[in-house]
Amino acid sequence: MHEGVSKGLIFDIQGHSIHDGPGTRTLVFLSGCPLRCAWCSNPEGLVLQPQLMYKPRLCKDCPARCVPGCPKGAARQSENGGSHILFDRVLCDSCDTMECVKVCYMRALQTSGKWYAVDELMRLFNRDRCYWGPEGGITLTGGEPLLQQEFVLNLLARCHDAGIAACVETSAYVPRTVLLAALPCIQWLFIDLKHMDSGRHRQGTGVPNELILDNLRWISRTNWPGRLVVRTPVVPGFNDTVANAEATAEFLAEIGLSEINLLPFHRLGASKYGQLGMSYEYAEQPAVGQEALEALAAVYREKAITCHLGSDTPF
Amino acid sequence: MTRTLAEVLEQSGIPIRLQVGGKAPDAVVDREVSKEPCPRAKKLRDLYFQTLSSATNEFPYWYTRKYSELEGEIPVVRRAAALKEAFSHLTPTILPGELLVMGKAHYYRGSFPMPWLSEGYYMAKEDELYKAALSKGSSSVDELSKFGSGGGNVTQTFGNVVSIAGKFGMRREEIPALLHTAREWAGKSVDDVGHKYEQMVPTYPMKEAIMRSIVCMFDSGYTLPQGREVINYYYPLEYGFDGLLQMAKEKKAEVAGRADGDGLVGMNRLYNYQAVILILEGIQNWIMNYAKEARRLADFESGPQQKQEYQEIAQRLESVAHNKPTTFREAIQMIWTVHVAVLNEDAISGLSPGRVGQVLYPYYEQDKAAGRITDDEVLEWMQLQRVKFTCIDCFASMGVVGGVLSGNTFNNLSLGGLTKDGRSAANDLEKLIIEAAIRCTSTQPTLTVLYDDKLPEDFLLKATECNKTGTGYPAWVNNRGAIDFILNQYGPEGMTVEEARALAIGGCLETSPCSWLPLHLNAKEYWIPGGSGQPTSVGVHFISLPKVLELVLFDGIDQRTGQPVYSPHGKKLESYEEIVAVFQDYFRKTVDCLTTSNNIQHDIWRKQNMAIFNSLLKPDCLLNGHLIHELGYRYNGTYNVESCGTVNLVNSLAAIKKVVFEDRATSLEEIKQALRDNFGFKTASEVGSFSLADQEKKEESGKWDYIHYLCLTAPKYGNDDPYADTILKGWENWFCRMCHDYESLNARPLYACQISVSTHAPMGMATIATPDGRLAGTTFADASLSAYPGTDRNGPYALFESATVWDHSLSQNSQMNLKLHPTAVAGMQGCKKLLALTQAYMRKGGFHIQYNVVDSKMLRDAQQNPDNYRDLMVRVAGFTQYWVEIGKPIQDEVIARTEYEGV
Repeated sequence: MHEGVSKGLIFDIQGHSIHDGPGTRTLVFLSGCPLRCAWCSNPEGLVLQPQLMYKPRLCKDCPARCVPGCPKGAARQSENGGSHILFDRVLCDSCDTMECVKVCYMRALQTSGKWYAVDELMRLFNRDRCYWGPEGGITLTGGEPLLQQEFVLNLLARCHDAGIAACVETSAYVPRTVLLAALPCIQWLFIDLKHMDSGRHRQGTGVPNELILDNLRWISRTNWPGRLVVRTPVVPGFNDTVANAEATAEFLAEIGLSEINLLPFHRLGASKYGQLGMSYEYAEQPAVGQEALEALAAVYREKAITCHLGSDTPF
Repeated sequence: MTRTLAEVLEQSGIPIRLQVGGKAPDAVVDREVSKEPCPRAKKLRDLYFQTLSSATNEFPYWYTRKYSELEGEIPVVRRAAALKEAFSHLTPTILPGELLVMGKAHYYRGSFPMPWLSEGYYMAKEDELYKAALSKGSSSVDELSKFGSGGGNVTQTFGNVVSIAGKFGMRREEIPALLHTAREWAGKSVDDVGHKYEQMVPTYPMKEAIMRSIVCMFDSGYTLPQGREVINYYYPLEYGFDGLLQMAKEKKAEVAGRADGDGLVGMNRLYNYQAVILILEGIQNWIMNYAKEARRLADFESGPQQKQEYQEIAQRLESVAHNKPTTFREAIQMIWTVHVAVLNEDAISGLSPGRVGQVLYPYYEQDKAAGRITDDEVLEWMQLQRVKFTCIDCFASMGVVGGVLSGNTFNNLSLGGLTKDGRSAANDLEKLIIEAAIRCTSTQPTLTVLYDDKLPEDFLLKATECNKTGTGYPAWVNNRGAIDFILNQYGPEGMTVEEARALAIGGCLETSPCSWLPLHLNAKEYWIPGGSGQPTSVGVHFISLPKVLELVLFDGIDQRTGQPVYSPHGKKLESYEEIVAVFQDYFRKTVDCLTTSNNIQHDIWRKQNMAIFNSLLKPDCLLNGHLIHELGYRYNGTYNVESCGTVNLVNSLAAIKKVVFEDRATSLEEIKQALRDNFGFKTASEVGSFSLADQEKKEESGKWDYIHYLCLTAPKYGNDDPYADTILKGWENWFCRMCHDYESLNARPLYACQISVSTHAPMGMATIATPDGRLAGTTFADASLSAYPGTDRNGPYALFESATVWDHSLSQNSQMNLKLHPTAVAGMQGCKKLLALTQAYMRKGGFHIQYNVVDSKMLRDAQQNPDNYRDLMVRVAGFTQYWVEIGKPIQDEVIARTEYEGV
């Protein structure tokens, strides 16, 4: 299934984004992530494999062709929900033909994730670049964009040669060698720092934070000329404490970084959990209030760290 | 069991309410840019919101009376005398607080029928109207308030008010006079006489069938024979009415009894100048009646400020009635007076004021320098002008005003563009005009930026800020593309590059030829732009392209009515090329048949109902002595062929080509059956709704599911997919060029005009399901280059790529409507990015783009009608989702956040 260096699995491409780097940008969402953050807003990008998305809203007035259509018998009609379908996701995960999608004439079943060659993306970028304006470019995000390393390094090098400015939004939970190879082709780096306490970090994301902190320390010591902005998703009950903000601010000051972007938790990805047959721990979690954000921002500003809230990072 | 979408959603735990009552209020709450009008404009605009469309019989009564007296007079003089009589008898009304005065009729939103164009409607409704006029009437306050709260339309008779043409209220006691006047015109109106002669065209029976099947919706010659053009204010500004009278009298003496080498119409110049003199006198009388009314009000007024305002109004009008204006205030009164006078002369929609900021600039510049006016005062006047423009109602038949125009009058004000010598024409007054439109949001005048790379950044950012009011204006038009079109079309009539730069948009999006004329003010010369062409969007109105395709597939038989429209082609349609060839053949027949009958209607119009006042304003009628009916205008090749449903046609052709002839996944016969069976859905009229959201399946057998799936998943325009885009390019190249093969009554070639206005709804209603998967009776894609809702899945850049595969300057226009969420353009950064997007589209050769920056009121509506908002996107940091795919709780959250971001 993995198509290796020549192709990369991408679950979304969006033109005209203005929140993830300077100018207007084309966003590329790469599949696969080593982290498992329970609040993640892009659950379809967690694994490096095309995902079956099921939209009950479109599933109507149909004799359920997907039920006999699945050679593994993974689909069955729900007993109380009319024509609505239940999927055995364990069986689905081992499927690479997705016969059910082919017979769903209502288009309630779709795949998320498509393999792209570098050339295909370059054609797209060259099409889009006239819309970006002088400051714009591409932003690679995900998932973890640096996970499909050969592919992404190849893509970044091609962009570099073509004079296309690249921004990468990463967890930094990647080998130093990958960062080392990628940095010369990147003008802008967003690094997510989710918790300063490694134990808590592991609880929330499934991995400890040492590699991330080391990478941050290392980048800040290199003479890489780009701009690095640390981003923290403010997740209620996980990292929205003053203590964590203080620890983060101290760390940033220690390694010589002077700005952070706090992103309030939102539930915009909730419907996608349903479509993937996953449950969402944060389905009922209310959004973070402006007051709580301001309180955290005050902690950073106290330590002379510039703190941008939400989408107001000046580019 | 059949289920509506609503029920399906209900079962999915996402309940929605599908219907909201009535029209959303004009004012939006949650705009990033939201300011209040000045108190004076606010009061007058509030009055507008509370006022109903009101018709009066005053103008037609005096016109008809005079016209009848003058049996045997030369037609142009007879008409001018009738117009003079009517103008001289209009009752003036001036409201407290007004500075800019005069209106179409004595009601605030007043207008009147013109039975000399078409009287059939009143005759047909005579019994009904009489009954309404004679009945006691309940005079119920409940009824009154019901209509009051539904906007200004009087859709039903109530109390002492009789509803006519589905929109206008007329006092019961005026109805007998209305009917009497209408009867006078039976057999003589443009409609009646035109109808007599159009029947002599051999293809007339086909024309009847075309109109009945709604392949085309409207006749051109007697509905709104003028408009979609740019007015020219130059002559009254340069000479004043006394000066123009003097000129006409001198010219009359010069040409009396002389042919001057023109044996055909040379002698007519005498009568034309006589007509010009009569109408100028009528307009002077009309202005002076307002002046007298202002004096009368001043005498009664006890408040010192209001008294002084009435006196100043009187002084301004007394001056404007005779002299050329010398101040900004006089000049803006003059152009408004001239504008209303043209609107009263004929049934007109889309009389664009043109580049007002450049026309008024000389007065602004000199008054500012002399300390006679401040920017704040100019802002107030520009807001008052907006309210005045918004009060304009256009009286025409219900079908035209409702079905095509949605009640809009399209007084489009253009900004920017280039000067005569090719520099940026944007100025400080234009920035104030934009600011006035931001503060006093209203439907008229709508704004258009003539985008040119030479326009300065501060001006462009100001215009972009205005987009964020959520009003949808300004629209952005490609100035260079427009120049190319103008040169192509009017080059043979002498258009030069320099003159092409004077262009402006007439009506909603009609690129119109204009000219530069030298205005003199205090010994300084200014070249100001103004219209110099005949009306556009006349000729062949809106041809429903998907309907023509239906007739191709079904051998000329209308599948809605079962009636034949075209003679059977008898072809088996065994290849895609054969389908295209038959389509082209039917389309040519349609254009030929409609052109000939419309030419006759317009010819009757110009022989009996010619524009006299509008003509004398346009170069070079006053100088050459020929009015519109003798091609006295500088540019006369303005007639066009309009299309509707382009994208549904392109997607349908793509589906047929791919599914039937390439993949051979099904046969054309199967598709035809599926179309006839509406893909297994009930018809829209059975369901009782024309919105996609409400469409219901007939049964769950799923007989047509596979074919519907094939049709829906075939290549679609708007995705940077060469498959569909090549078909669009082929269509445009053929259509834009074939129009030139037909000529108007002015013996000039027709051209393509590609705006749907509102016709994509009624035309969709009359068309069965289409091979692109669209269901019977539902609305077509709007405009000509907007994607069909939900089918553009690759974002705006891909859409722009698809849209610009063809040369837009082949056509008078193309149209692109784009919805943006306010967060996508928030703040100054957002303004810059929105501007960058616009510029990129323009540089790629896109002709027009306009933005709906969606507010939360729309989002709330979107919650209730999700399928109408299929293409609406919400963007947040790192994550974007289609609105309709987000659950309601989250939608509520986004609505709340949007309001927060709007502070």
